Amino acid sequence: MTRFTPRFYVAAAIVAAVLLFGVLGPLVFSGHELGTVVGGLYDHPSGRLWLGTDNIGHDVFTNLMYGTRTSLVIGLVAGALATLIGVVVGTLAGYRGGALEEALMGVTNVILAIPSIVVLILISIALGTRSTVAMAVVLGVTSWPWTARAVRAQAASVRTREHLDVARLSGAGTMSLICYDVVPYMLSYLCMAFVLQVSSAVLNEAALSMLGLGPSGGVSLGIMLHWALAWESVRTGAWWAFVPPTLLLTLLAFALLMLQSSLDEVFNPRLRRFLRRRRPAATPTAEAA
Amino acid sequence: MALTADVTSADAAAAEEGQAASTSLLRYLARKAAWYLGALVVAIVLNFLLPRLIPGNPVDAIVSSLGRGGVEGSQLRAIHEHYVHEFGLDKPMWQQFLIYLGNLAHGNLGTSFAQSPASVSDLIAQALPWSIALQLPAILIGWIVGNGLGAIAAYRGGWFDRGAFLGSLFTSSMPYYCLAILLLYLLAVAIPVLPPTGGYSFGNVPELSGAFVADALTHYWLPFLSLVLVFVGGQAVGMRSMAVYELGSDYVNYGRGLGLRDRTLVRYIFRNAMLPQVTGLALSIGTLVGGALITEIVFSYPGVGTLLFTAISQNDYPVVAGLTLLIAVAVLVANFCVEIAYGVIDPRIRAANRGER
Amino acid sequence: MSTERTADVATAGTSAGPVLTASGLRAAYGPTVAVDDVALSVGSGEVLGIAGESGCGKSTLAAVLSLTARPPLSVLGGELTVDGERLDLSGGRKPPRTWRGGVVSLLPQGAMNALSATAKVGDVAVDVVRAHRGRVPRGVALDLLADRLDALDLPRRVIGAYPHQLSGGMRQRVVTVLSTLLDPRLLIADEPTSALDVSTQRALVDLLRELVRRGLVGGIVFVTHDLPVLRAVADRIAIMYAGRIVETGPTADMVDDPRHPYTAALLSSVLVPEPQVRRRRIGGIRGAPPDLADPPAGCRFHPRCSLAMDVCTTTPPVVGDAEAYATCWWTKDHPDEPLERSL
Repeated sequence: MTRFTPRFYVAAAIVAAVLLFGVLGPLVFSGHELGTVVGGLYDHPSGRLWLGTDNIGHDVFTNLMYGTRTSLVIGLVAGALATLIGVVVGTLAGYRGGALEEALMGVTNVILAIPSIVVLILISIALGTRSTVAMAVVLGVTSWPWTARAVRAQAASVRTREHLDVARLSGAGTMSLICYDVVPYMLSYLCMAFVLQVSSAVLNEAALSMLGLGPSGGVSLGIMLHWALAWESVRTGAWWAFVPPTLLLTLLAFALLMLQSSLDEVFNPRLRRFLRRRRPAATPTAEAA
Repeated sequence: MALTADVTSADAAAAEEGQAASTSLLRYLARKAAWYLGALVVAIVLNFLLPRLIPGNPVDAIVSSLGRGGVEGSQLRAIHEHYVHEFGLDKPMWQQFLIYLGNLAHGNLGTSFAQSPASVSDLIAQALPWSIALQLPAILIGWIVGNGLGAIAAYRGGWFDRGAFLGSLFTSSMPYYCLAILLLYLLAVAIPVLPPTGGYSFGNVPELSGAFVADALTHYWLPFLSLVLVFVGGQAVGMRSMAVYELGSDYVNYGRGLGLRDRTLVRYIFRNAMLPQVTGLALSIGTLVGGALITEIVFSYPGVGTLLFTAISQNDYPVVAGLTLLIAVAVLVANFCVEIAYGVIDPRIRAANRGER
Repeated sequence: MSTERTADVATAGTSAGPVLTASGLRAAYGPTVAVDDVALSVGSGEVLGIAGESGCGKSTLAAVLSLTARPPLSVLGGELTVDGERLDLSGGRKPPRTWRGGVVSLLPQGAMNALSATAKVGDVAVDVVRAHRGRVPRGVALDLLADRLDALDLPRRVIGAYPHQLSGGMRQRVVTVLSTLLDPRLLIADEPTSALDVSTQRALVDLLRELVRRGLVGGIVFVTHDLPVLRAVADRIAIMYAGRIVETGPTADMVDDPRHPYTAALLSSVLVPEPQVRRRRIGGIRGAPPDLADPPAGCRFHPRCSLAMDVCTTTPPVVGDAEAYATCWWTKDHPDEPLERSL
């Protein structure tokens, strides 16, 4: 029986709120079109423009909504891709073992050894224009190794369990075994891995964007920060240009990580410490020996 | 009695152990070295290949920007040819690769496009000390304070644990550059206590004088603080989780059952929880070069990050490639050293290789 | 009954008196009482076996007796008298640290994993000695360990070994030596033979007997679910069910003539490779142990007992004397009838 702690609900609520903001925000707060000049450069927040304007006169609030959406899309797609590749590679390696495992793990280790930021920078530069999808694919394809490694360890341990022997004896094929017996066993771990991949994808995209290698032509939280830094918003004190995207990014990253650690607590009881215990029996029962 | 038979076979096994120990360690190191060499080769190839896959000729872009600056046509052509020749862009790819490798062996990372004739190595050598000066103290102090905090929180439990855990979780899950931006806003813009940008005041020239050092220090605090808080948070969370896990271990319960003092038990827990933490420290040091890129950009701190930022914005590929190679090599070397240290320190790793377990 | 025992101890007051007298022991996990008013005694040089099914509370009892109970287990009350010294456990009072290991010592379940992976055996021994005897030079502590290993026929090489370098059985024996390094009066062995193969079990049992024979421990409480082992090692046996002791007495008497239906059922469900067992049907005990959060009224075994009567829903009487008794209504009514025939 899994028991969800209060932390889990808080984290899930925050993530849901950010999701809603990014996905439904533009529909709800339909005011300004993305990319239209609505004011001067770095206008202060006012009743009309809740978060003022940025360095080209665009509405920061609109940018924030669309930026959140882009960041989320990239994060989710890249996270899903990375988790998928990682699971496939890891399960195959862990379950089959032998030469296949050695080869796959060799590739994984080499990719792991090279720092991801280096590969991301190099690939992003090599691409001429970077669409949102391309960025998501690049992020997903470079960050699957750690998931593969962990999944392989899990798969290798599942391989020797008895219920697999039973399934094998009853004639199940390899693919069916993997789908119905191995993967469900690791489902809890896969959930946590996916959450981690999403959060790392969001943060990596933001880092790349701040370096100047973000999705070209679009708005993301990282790109908003890039503009803010490149166009002197700090020195001119235009806090509305860089504080809101920072807060949103922080909130998202924090909530995702808290989600992952509370899932960890749920699935791994030994880490549970703060669950309220029921009050112990205070009065001895009336039975006498 | 059955016990005596056990003794004789155990003695024979012990003698064998001693012989096998040294050879297994060498074998372990050799295998690891081979892997890292392979990764290094891949890194170098990637570093060479990817910038050259960019559509369009980078030299054309530079020359055209020079042309906008009012340089004459014939001169432009001369400059163009000079660049193409110097960067070897007129030769086939494999020849370029060999030239590249040869240059690498001499420590020549090429000439910067944007700031030519400055060499890439010179530019990096100017920026690197600032980055190291920022990160090394931050990593070390963050590690010590963070681990201590985590261990105390795990041991004390109660409200201290709860508060410390949530606080550390907060600072460690926040992306480090976000913390940098927030601190920048709070302490340099909203309440102007510390200077917001640069490594030193505008107009000063870097020199080894008391006044300059003092000035540099005031610019140092904000980036340093943002890094340290994140490190402390990260270490504290990791250490606390490990310690909580270890506190539930059989050996802790048994140690209590033997009447061991709490001090002694903490020492055992430390030794078991420490190994991954030491690994983490060594790995962090390996990421010194590329670890705080965005933080430096946020504060316009004259380190490797700002260099990378300007190089990317100027399409200065030699500088970018040089920096990425440096970062990759630093991480690989650090990881390799950690693997060596692990094999030497932890007897279980060697034993696992030998098949004892 | 238990108060009589303590009174006996007070008047006797010699070192030949019982090593352990425990009474009124109660311990719970939150609201669930796992050990309900248990009283025990262990004589000098005696091995008392505690047997029962999984979940009967015997490991909890071992934790309480060895003073190693920790949250979520809380000790609600009771009192221990070891070699004349009284220790009051009620009110959540913490026992003195030096009692653990020095007066009462634990041989834990899964002793194979009881040693820290990064500590050598010799270092642990030095820490143990220093924890009880102050600043003792390292050499002195190691000599003590070496002497003890020699006396018990164990190889000296274990002193410099890490746990993973020793086999499972060797680790078990090393842990036994560490637990008895300071000559505790009472050794609580919690399922020491559960994870061992038969020949290693034998070696461990011989080691325990040797410890008692040499006076290195005053008495042993041997907790197990493995009845045949108890027949070989225990002088007296106590059977636990649902947190209570239902029968106790000398081993031979209990095995030949159990006075509690549960004991009889346990004995008849044990598979022993002896010729006379061949023709007998091995019966199990129908049903399952009760939920300790809501135990049956009166005799806790009565829902599963084939001899249950209406009166069994009230608290059963103690039939017998302090040394050997059974808590059962049926036994009270049929004091001389052997149980096996009626089952």
